Amino acid sequence: MEDQAKLLVALQDLDLLIKEARDSDTSTELKEMGFKLDGVAKLQEARDKLAKRIDPQLLNRYERVARSYDRAIVPVTDNFCLGCFVTLPTSYQSLQNKNQILTCESCGRILYFP
Amino acid sequence: MKTEELREYFQESLCIFNLQARDKKSALEEMVDRISRECRLKDRDIILEMLLNRESLGSTAIGKGVAFPHGRTLAIQELTVLFARSADGVNFDSLDKKPTHLFFLIIAPPQDKENLYLQVLGCVVELIKNASKRRKLMEVTSFPELQAIFDS
Repeated sequence: MEDQAKLLVALQDLDLLIKEARDSDTSTELKEMGFKLDGVAKLQEARDKLAKRIDPQLLNRYERVARSYDRAIVPVTDNFCLGCFVTLPTSYQSLQNKNQILTCESCGRILYFP
Repeated sequence: MKTEELREYFQESLCIFNLQARDKKSALEEMVDRISRECRLKDRDIILEMLLNRESLGSTAIGKGVAFPHGRTLAIQELTVLFARSADGVNFDSLDKKPTHLFFLIIAPPQDKENLYLQVLGCVVELIKNASKRRKLMEVTSFPELQAIFDS
């Protein structure tokens, strides 16, 4: 089975890329620098393909959290959730090594351990 | 941002003065491998996938022999800039169809709220518009030479 945590992170990166390409301020700035951004449809196709590789329940969880926050997945640094800055239980460190998808108990965001 | 300020975003270990790759995917792999190794990142493939997706949005090789692969990914913890130079040139789907010799790869975490990466990107793009600096960059072979171009 593919690494679901990695697929989720790649999905969020792709969602961010699509969002920036559609954002008028960012896209105007990039176009003024000389970049062409005409492949949004291709990105959407890539997004659809990637989403199909993710466990449906997990994808549903990601999309539910993404409706509440700009970013559904946030990094963990020094045992802090960088979404809400709450200290996480120390047990999370060992659980993440077992490839479990962990959620911040405080804010509900999905956690990524860089 | 002024071009002199750029020097603080570059580091010697993230400069490749003899990029070996000849095509887009290999070039991105070579650059991402260097970043992963130097920054001790565990998810090299996520960064590579993000950059390849960014290229499918539109090539970041905007002509005059220069490309600016860029984007945001959760797999990196801070704004990271890599410089690479290829003497032979890379087929990077440049807008002017010519080989690409200079690469400024800029990646940032999503939580880069002040859009610092866009500021750095904009500043490098401006620098490259200067034909004299571009010529010097095409011949640069060491980190001190690169820094001197930012300062000149």
